[in-house]
Order: sequence, then structure tokens, then C-alpha cells
Amino acid sequence: MEYEIEILPKKGFTDLHGARVLSDIMQAGIKDVKKTGYSPVYAIDGITKAEADLIGWEILSDKITETFFITESSTTAKDRGCKELSSGGEKVHAIEVWFKKGVTDTVSESVVKAIKDLGITKEVKVKTGHIYYIYGAVGKQVLEKIATTVLANTLIQDYKINELR
Amino acid sequence: MNCVNIEILKLNDKELINLSKKNTLSLNLKEMKAVKSYFKKLKRDPTDVEIETIAQTWSEHCKHKTLTGVINYSGADSKGKKVNITYKNLLKETIFKATAELNKKWCLSVFKDNAGVIEFDKLNGIAFKVETHNHPSALEPYGGAATGVGGVIRDILGVGLGAKPLANTDVFCFGNPDTPAKKVPDGMHHPKRIAKGVVAGVRDYGNRMGIPTVNGGVHFDDGYMANPLIYCGTMGIMPKSAIEKKVKSGDFVVVAGGRTGRDGIHGATFSSAELDKESDVSAVQIGNPIVEKKVLDTMLKARDLKLYRAVTDCGAGGLSSACGELGESTGVRIELEKVPLKYQGLAPWEIWISEAQERMVFAVPPKNVKKLLNLFDCENVEATVIGRFTNDKKLTLAYNGKTVGQLDMDFLHKGVPKTAAFARYAPLKETLRKPVKFNGTRIRESLKKVLADSAVCSKEQIIRQYDHEVQGQTIVKPLQGCAINIWGPGDAAVIWPYAVIKNTKKGIVLSNGINHQYGKADTYKMTASAIEEALRNAVAVGANPDRISVLDNFCWGNPEKPEVLGSLVRAAQACYDMSKKFGVPFISGKDSLYNEYTIRGKTFSIPPALLISAMGVIDNVENTMTMNFKRAGNLIMLLGITRNELGQSVFNRINKISGGIAPNVYPEESLKIMRGIYKAANAGLIEACHDISEGGLAAAVSEMAFAGSLGAIVKLGAVLTKENMTDAEILFSESNGRFIIEVKPDNAKKIKDIFKGSAISIAGVVTGDCKVEFGSDKVYISEKTGVLRSAWQNALNLF
Amino acid sequence: MAMPKALIIRTAGTNCDFEAQKAFELCGAKAERIHVNELLTSASKILSYDILLVPGGFSYGDDIASGKILANEIKNKLGDKIKRFALSGKPVIGICNGFQVLVKMGLLPDPELFDQTATLSYNDSGRFECRWVYLKNEKNKCLWTKDLPEIITLPVAHGEGKFIAANSETLKEIEDNSQVVFRYVNADGSKADYPADPNGSVNAISGICNDKGNVFGLMPHPERYVYALQHPAREGFDGKYGCGKKIFQNAVDYLK
Repeated sequence: MEYEIEILPKKGFTDLHGARVLSDIMQAGIKDVKKTGYSPVYAIDGITKAEADLIGWEILSDKITETFFITESSTTAKDRGCKELSSGGEKVHAIEVWFKKGVTDTVSESVVKAIKDLGITKEVKVKTGHIYYIYGAVGKQVLEKIATTVLANTLIQDYKINELR
Repeated sequence: MNCVNIEILKLNDKELINLSKKNTLSLNLKEMKAVKSYFKKLKRDPTDVEIETIAQTWSEHCKHKTLTGVINYSGADSKGKKVNITYKNLLKETIFKATAELNKKWCLSVFKDNAGVIEFDKLNGIAFKVETHNHPSALEPYGGAATGVGGVIRDILGVGLGAKPLANTDVFCFGNPDTPAKKVPDGMHHPKRIAKGVVAGVRDYGNRMGIPTVNGGVHFDDGYMANPLIYCGTMGIMPKSAIEKKVKSGDFVVVAGGRTGRDGIHGATFSSAELDKESDVSAVQIGNPIVEKKVLDTMLKARDLKLYRAVTDCGAGGLSSACGELGESTGVRIELEKVPLKYQGLAPWEIWISEAQERMVFAVPPKNVKKLLNLFDCENVEATVIGRFTNDKKLTLAYNGKTVGQLDMDFLHKGVPKTAAFARYAPLKETLRKPVKFNGTRIRESLKKVLADSAVCSKEQIIRQYDHEVQGQTIVKPLQGCAINIWGPGDAAVIWPYAVIKNTKKGIVLSNGINHQYGKADTYKMTASAIEEALRNAVAVGANPDRISVLDNFCWGNPEKPEVLGSLVRAAQACYDMSKKFGVPFISGKDSLYNEYTIRGKTFSIPPALLISAMGVIDNVENTMTMNFKRAGNLIMLLGITRNELGQSVFNRINKISGGIAPNVYPEESLKIMRGIYKAANAGLIEACHDISEGGLAAAVSEMAFAGSLGAIVKLGAVLTKENMTDAEILFSESNGRFIIEVKPDNAKKIKDIFKGSAISIAGVVTGDCKVEFGSDKVYISEKTGVLRSAWQNALNLF
Repeated sequence: MAMPKALIIRTAGTNCDFEAQKAFELCGAKAERIHVNELLTSASKILSYDILLVPGGFSYGDDIASGKILANEIKNKLGDKIKRFALSGKPVIGICNGFQVLVKMGLLPDPELFDQTATLSYNDSGRFECRWVYLKNEKNKCLWTKDLPEIITLPVAHGEGKFIAANSETLKEIEDNSQVVFRYVNADGSKADYPADPNGSVNAISGICNDKGNVFGLMPHPERYVYALQHPAREGFDGKYGCGKKIFQNAVDYLK
């Protein structure tokens, strides 16, 4: 099975990367966005749910400051971790950025090593990606612009925009 | 995957050119015809592997065809007289020639290896190389810059039998960071995005390699918006016994490090559309510093165990260039299926020319192969035997037992036809403009604006992201000041390699000079100024001017345009003249041509830029100097003559003043002063030293004051000038050849003795009241150092 | 005792191992830089050393988080030997990346518990930063910092140096138990703001030790200030040396 393990800051810890993204968006001259969030995400193929839990806890998240959220990669309408962080009925979009096929993903090699060190010795495949949450009512065109001018380099990365709420 | 034959024997001229274009070979008609006639003799068509090999080996990047080709130049000579000259080989007749004529015995390896090497001490040499990675960084700033750093580090690992990298330097030219988003042409990244990505790429690669980034520069000009310049340099140290490499027939070819993928095939020239078509293709090189760090750790062990006879890096052209170079005098046979791949499906030619990163190629005597492979294996470095050096002087490529290409080394390396090009150049006609009469208020405002200008202002927010202290040997740091509160702009860095060489007192100085703005007047002045600035910076921290070597790094537009090539010829002339007059040899260099971009159908060349990077040796690191004022009551002495040279200056630009004369270089005057500084520094007579460059005397004094958290009073009447100059002109002229030194009053006489015959004056005094004051009989300017410092420190807003 | 023998553990991406080796040698110890792969094949070798140092750098690229992968590797594969070494009272030090490794595997603050109860997270500035800082020496039981003056200077260079304890009880324990070794301060010892405090650590903590005082972890780099020449203003401690040397000397002298 392939699972996507998303890493989120625990409540009470600032999402520094998310804040940086917001300032990058403002610097790019886009004024419509008021709040952003960031989560690294790891897609790991060849593990069980219990192993995903173990990997999320022991390797991918920081035990003190971070938490993690697991989804099955095959799920189409992604239930992303941000819902744990935000309340109320405001709109949320997730812009996901993943490397194109064939682009060297150096972090994934390290994750594979760490999983082996943990004692999970079977063959696993790892891809690393980024999820950017854009909170508030932001139009499709603006989201596209954010994706292409700030978040993804389309030469090496694909992106998709999902409306979560 | 297999190889195919490329039909060439039957093709006419037009079809030859089309073939070159279709396969991105970048070979011109003359070259295609040379290829055709070679294969005509062999009575067969080439395979795709063969033609790709030739294209790589004959590329501008590898062969420097323009600079080594025939150039018919018509234009100004070094004295400005109009002449017609035919250069048979511009590099040989200017830059190489100067080095040969200077014939310094401390130059140990020049212009023949991956880096230039000079003597450090009796047993050791130091190697230095600077490279550019412009186009990849425009497309993918982070990856492009990171692999630029990775590439130049491999040059140092691949010089001789390998040097241990001690320091990096990086110089960037970007578009204006404040460019409105809508002014950025479609399909290009905003200069700020490029700048951020480049800085992050350099930071992450350099820091992870454990090599301190100790010196550099950041420059801004609209002309670099679509085509930024990314210069990456590395310096390393090696035993003299490791300087020469020699491949022997029968040695095995071992590739170690990263795996091979489609990375960077044909450089990063794929458009995104083509990428989508074959979505598993990565045209962009992605770096992995940890793989390179592992290679570094292990190969230096193998070097000291003498396990291999030669090494080189896989750079442009990948294995084709690396194996081709190593096997030039013997011949080599490579079995391409043995090369470890990132993923399956690569055609033999792709394996052969891929520019996948972090790979080194070794020539290994048979008896050492097992030992070497084992040594790599112990630290998880993948290393594989992929072939063997022969004695047939041929390059033979096999894939699964079948020969897929065979070329004579002689043809491959010497068969490229000489190009012939036309060049012409006329410098800007410069005239002295009418005197700039600013009152005190306007001068004070100008000073704050100059300090906040992107050419002068603090680059601290970039510098701090680089680990400039790792290895513990950076003893003159990029930021300088009192106690540990350091923010002043150091002129150069000094590395004290105590962890490598036991009990050494010697140091290595690294500095840079680049003056692209003066190129708008005359590329001769631009070049001469860059050379002098690099020397001045090095001398300002304590380098011996008679032990400095330099690297050239040309970034130019399209040399097929006679004006562009002409401006380059003129720069090369200046390189020769200055090298000779300063006695400073060039030891290595690089050129990046065809830096041009197209916006709405119109093609532009970048403003030409020549980076001069200097490496020198210091006998006693305890006598090095920093630029911050040290103590109230000390004298401020000014060395060198101030001339009315405000053409292309920061002052003129911010005040929208046109015209004026850009700075010249007066090597005899300057060299004498530089030697004096070295002498005085070693006698312990100088408390602080700073060179005067962009922003002139006013900026330099202000920097010394706020770096030391002290003040200064300078009397403009005491400044030695060549002609009548107004106060503003004296303060902001960018004349070369000038330094400010801080001297204890008791030492003033000794200093004057040392500088007898040079222009020297006591221009002022260091004060304790945190104000910078300039005065003449006409004006008095006073500003708090805190105000000046914050103008300077808070100007650049990249992050 | 014969010349003390220090083990410097290195791996892919380690890069302050040379300087650390030189510092030990300067202080009269023998120091070996050993790749973690070598220890994996003979783990008991660890116990034959007198001092253990986990150096700075970017182990495994600091992928995922800094020090994480090496901490995971050491804990899972060499955990019991490392724990035994620490509990034996021999000097152990983790510098920068090494501190991150010690904390993330749980060797600090409490090697007996050997479970992660604190972390080193992203700097408040969100960036890697290289600068010199003032440190207040808490003059506690740490054997590594004996006889150092109350205020010292050292360089830092990190992106993830913000010390955070798992909860207020853990923090209180560390404080009450005098396990804080260094805090970021201003030159006069007063409470520092950014950039004098480069990362926003809880209680400005920049280094801690275990209850016994033999296991020490810190973000600043003592191995980069063993000579006065390495100081920005060439200020020395003990003549031509820097105060970083004293830290190494303490461990060596402790074993004599």
C-alpha cells in the first residue's frame, strides 16, 4: 500500500515555513492571501498502516513540536491534515507540489535509509512533496499564479490545486 | 536501448546544418563538414554516440573556440589608438602570454588542469578555480546555483590527484530586486525569486559540503534580469606531489559517486514543452551535496594511499569529456552498460554525455582496483569499473559487447576547425562634465543614498546564511568589526590552514573584483579596474602583492556580433597589460559566452562582466588586517591620488548625472602603494585598512567608522587630487589605487617613510563620538554613524 | 593514565570532525575520526575509548530534520553501547549537529531514560545563520566547562538550534537540576534578543548537560575557537588560545 504521511506543527508551535510562504506571495505582488500553511509530505509505497504510523512517529515528525497525518495515496478526495489546525468555515485550498518523474529526489533516498535503520527492511519507495495551504477566498487564477510564480518550478515539479473546503 | 547510425555522408550543407540544429549539436557548418570528411575517410556514417561525443568535445564550453580562434579586430588598442589586429588565438596572445612572460616560479600548474595551482609552502600547493552556472540558474535558481557550487568543488577535487577544498567564493549579478512583477518578461523568474533561489542553493550545497563560503559579491543591473550571472569558486590545498597526473595504458577506468540519469543532457536547453513530452526526462541538474561530500572524504584518503594515477571530474559533457580528457594520450575503451544508472531506459549516447552530478573518474592501476573499490564501499560511495585505458590512441565505446563508437583521439581533440570572427570596438567618448557643486545637505543625503545603493549596501543577510567559519580556518572574516559585533564589509578573506598543515603561520587570501558598470564606458577600464580591485582587496587584508595570482571569468553576450566580440578583445588586451604591469599571473580561467536573451522577438546581450578572482599567499597570518577603525585618536591616512573619475559611478547614477570619466588604472602608482602596505603591515604599523571602491572616499570612511562603532573627522583639503575638484567629487570619485589606513600617531613618521614617493596624506582622525564628519573651507557634513549604518544595513531586502 | 583516546563519530555529511580532532590533539589527547559504518561492524569498540564526540555538520544532509537520521541510526544500531558509555561517566560531547543527534536520540537531557524529551527546532528567524555570540556560563556541574569565565564568546552556525523541552515539567527539571550549561546573553550578561540570541531557544538555552555532568551538548562551536587568531578581534583566552580550547582541555584533564 502507498501512504502519504504529512507533517504538521503541533498546536502552539509556529509554522515558520508557512509564514515564509505568505511573505513570498506578498513579495510576488499577490495581495489576496491572508494566511498560509506548509506541510512536508512523504509518499511511501510498500508499507502497512502500522508501519506508516511508526515511520511517522519515529522518523518523519519531531516528537516535541510536530504531529503527522496519514492518508492512503489512492484516496481521491484528500482529507488533509490542515483541518486539525483551522477551525471555522473559511475556504482552504491545498497546492501540492511534487517532483516530476525522473527528477532526482535526494531526500527520498535518506528516508529510505532511515526506514531501513528502523528495522523495516523490505523494499519501499519514497517520494517527497510539499503541501501549501492557502486560507480564505482566493480565486482559481490567483492560485495558479501562486503555484507557478512562487511555489513550483514547472520545469522540474508538478503541482495540483485542491479545494479542501 | 541501442545506438543508431546518423546519416551524414550523403547530406549537403543545408542538411548538415539542419542535422546540427535538430540534434542540438551546436556545431556550425564548417565543423559539420569536418565531421563529414572524417567519416568519409572511414567510409561509413557515424553512430549517434560518435556524433554526440564530437559535439560535446568541440563545444564552446569545452574548447573555447571563440577565444582560441582567429579574430580580426579593428578598434582601439591599449592606448586608445585605432588599430587593425589579427589574433590567431586571442587567449594565447594575451592572457597565457602574460603568464608565460612573467614566468613566476611559484606558479606550479597553469591553464592545463581543472584549476590553477600556485605554491603555498615548500611541500604544498593551493589550487583555485571559478566557474559560472548562468543558464541553469536562470531556469532553476536553486538547483542551478547548487550544482554550480558542486561543479567547481569537483574541479578542485579533480585538479592533479585532488586537492582538499578549503573555501568557496561566490559572486552574483542579478536583475534589480525591486523590478515590478509586471515588468518581468513572460516565462522568466522575477529577479528576487532568482536571487533567493540562488542564495539558498549556494548555502545548502556549500554548507553541507563543510566548505566555508568566505568571500563574494552581489551586483544588480537590469541587464541581468533574464540572464543572471552565477560565479562559483573554490580554493583547495594539496601536496606538491599530487599536482601531476599521468594515465598509463592498462589502467582501469573507475567512475565513483552519483549515478547517471538524463540530467542536463545538452545542458539545460530543453523547453518545458519538450519536457512534458517525455515526462521522465530531467533536463535540469539536481545536486546532492552529501554524495559529493562522501566522494571528497573517501577520495582524499585514496589519494594519500596513492591508489590511483589520475582523476578528473564529470562536468560539462559528462563521461565523454572526463574519459576523453584522461585518455587523450593513450586511448580508452569504455563499456557503457557498466555505468550505474538512476533508472533504466537510457540510450548509450545518453549515458555517455549525461551531466549527472557528483561523479569523478579515476585511472587506477590494476593492482589497486580492489583496494580502491573497497575503500569507497566502506563509506557507501558507489564506484564501478567501466573500462580501461588502451594504447591505440582511440576512443572506443562498447555497449553490451558491441562496439557503438570508435574515434581517433587526435581527431577528437585536435580536429575542430578554427573559427574566424570579426571584432570591432570603440569605447564611449568620455568628457569631463561640469563641476558638481553640492552643498552640505545634498552631500549628506547623497552619502546616505550611496550607502543604501545596492552596489554598496550590506549583503549581511546573504553572508550570514553561509557558514563562513566551518573548518575553523577563516581568520579574516567576510564581516568585520569590534569584539564580536561584526557587520563591516571585509575586503577579502584569509584562510589559515592550521588543521591541514601542522605549525604553519602562512595564510591564503581570497578576493574578487568586478566592475561591470565601467564596461558601459570601456571594457578596457572595466577589466583593468576589476584586476586592480581584486588586488587592492587582497592587499587591504595583508596579502603580499608580489605573491598574488588571478583567475579570469568572462561572461559575455553573443561573440558572433562584432561589437560584442570587440569589447571582449579589448578586455583581453587589458588583462595582458595589467597582468604584466602588476606582475600578477593568470593561472586559470573560464568564459561563458552567448549570454543573451530574447524578449518579444528582440534579442539582447547582457552587459559584459569580467570577474577577477585573486588568490595570494601571506607569510604570517598574525599580520593580517581588518577594516574597522580600532581606536579614537588614531590618524586616518589616505593613500593614492583622487582623480575626477565619476563616470559610471554610484554617485552619478543615484543623482542621475550623466557623463564624466570612468576610473583608469595607474599600475605603477598602485603597485608601489600596495608594496608599501604589505611592508607596513608586517611592521605592525597599520591598525585598520580598507580599499576605496564603489561609493568613493565617503563610503569607505563611513564603513570603517560604523564597523568599529567609532567616528571620524576627515578634512577634504588634505585629500591629494590630480585636478581641481569640488567637495562632492572628492568624496564620491571612484578612482582606483586608493586605500584608507588607520595609524597610531606615534607611527605616522614611520609610515610616511615607507610611503615616500607615493601620494600619502593625513586626512583626518578617528573619533569616539560616533559621528562621521567631512569638512572643507566650503562645506561641513556631519552624520551619526548609527544613521549611516542603518542606511547601509537595512537597504537590501531580499528575504 | 595514558594519553586519553577520543572517538569522533563521523558519517556522510559530517564536517567539523577535523577541527575537533585538532582540538583534542592540541590538548594532549589522541583522537580518531571513525565512520559510523565501522562502528556498526564492531560496536564494542566504542567502549574502548575514553571520550566520545559527535561533531557538527549535516549528517545525511539533515534531510527530514537536522540530526534525525543519524540519531535514528545510532539509537537503533548502537544504542546500548552509547548509553553504557554515557552512564559510565566518561566525557561525551555533541556539538551543533552532534547536539541535535544526542537530543533526538534521547541521550540528553537524561541518558538513563534514553528517550527524546526535548528538541532543537527551526531558528525563529527561519534561516541558517552564522555569527559569534556571547554565552553565559552557568558554572554548573558540567565537567567540560570547569574554570571558564562567566561570559564567553563562541561562533554558532545553524538553522535548527532552538531548544525546546517537551513540556514545562521537563524544562523545570532541567533548570532545577542545574543542567543548563550555557545561555545566549548580551555582552554584559543581560537577557539577549535576536540576533544576540540567534534562535529563540526557551530560556535562551544554548547548551545542556546530563545530571552527572559528563554528557554535554551545545549549539555553538568550541572547536572553531581554540586559537585567539580565530576570534574576530583576535581576543584570546589563556594567551594565544581561545576559550574553546579550555572545553576540550577540561575533558582531557578530567581523565588524567
